[in-house]
Amino acid sequence: MEPDADRPGARVPEARGASRWAQTPRWVRVFAVVGAVVVLAVVVMLLTGHGPGRHMNHGLGMTGHVPW
Amino acid sequence: MRPPLRRLMLVAHIGFSVGWLGAVAGSLALSVIGLVARDPAVVRAVYLVLEPVGWSTLVPLSFASLLTGLVQAWGTRWGLIRHYWVLIKLVMNVFATTILLLYMQTLGYLAGLARTAVADGPAGDLRSPSPVAHAAAAIVLLLTALVLSVYKPRGETSWVRPAGTRRGSAPVRGQAA
Repeated sequence: MEPDADRPGARVPEARGASRWAQTPRWVRVFAVVGAVVVLAVVVMLLTGHGPGRHMNHGLGMTGHVPW
Repeated sequence: MRPPLRRLMLVAHIGFSVGWLGAVAGSLALSVIGLVARDPAVVRAVYLVLEPVGWSTLVPLSFASLLTGLVQAWGTRWGLIRHYWVLIKLVMNVFATTILLLYMQTLGYLAGLARTAVADGPAGDLRSPSPVAHAAAAIVLLLTALVLSVYKPRGETSWVRPAGTRRGSAPVRGQAA
């Protein structure tokens, strides 16, 4: 269970030097990290030619290779 | 929003979102059939039908889910960027809709291959794990959004004033999906 600091309206005391990231609920941090990894993977795939545009210049039925 | 309209929009948002999940589940089933079916005619039929299924159900339902979700967020005191779970659902919805629109090109490509394939020829070249992977990933994403909607995990962003300092009362759980 998350601490009471995650309750709506609850305010985490301003710790000296504490970043906004540290005050963010843990589940949100997990979502942010996983989401960033997924988005990065998608961007890398698109940039390396595994995106949907790969087949656009080949015409239909020429390669039989599915782009992604 | 007045309560009757709010409930109507909530019903619409849940309906479109769950409908989207169901349409993806149907597409996943079709994709698996296309991957494992022995009859080449069935394989070709699967890849021919995946594209129109996408345009007629997946795309409209994704946009309907997004739009009704925005209405729910703006029309209730949950707000769009006030609570992390709402904000994360918005990001996930936009991400999924974008990927879906991009992937429709691939489904069109597969449909083209199936359309030009020899009627009685082998279907080996048509088989692709890509639709299975994308549909499975979409189901994971939509189920995650569903869990967020039901559990509404705590946590407010610091980008807006707390609900208690605004006019009116704090949000009531169940007002947004």
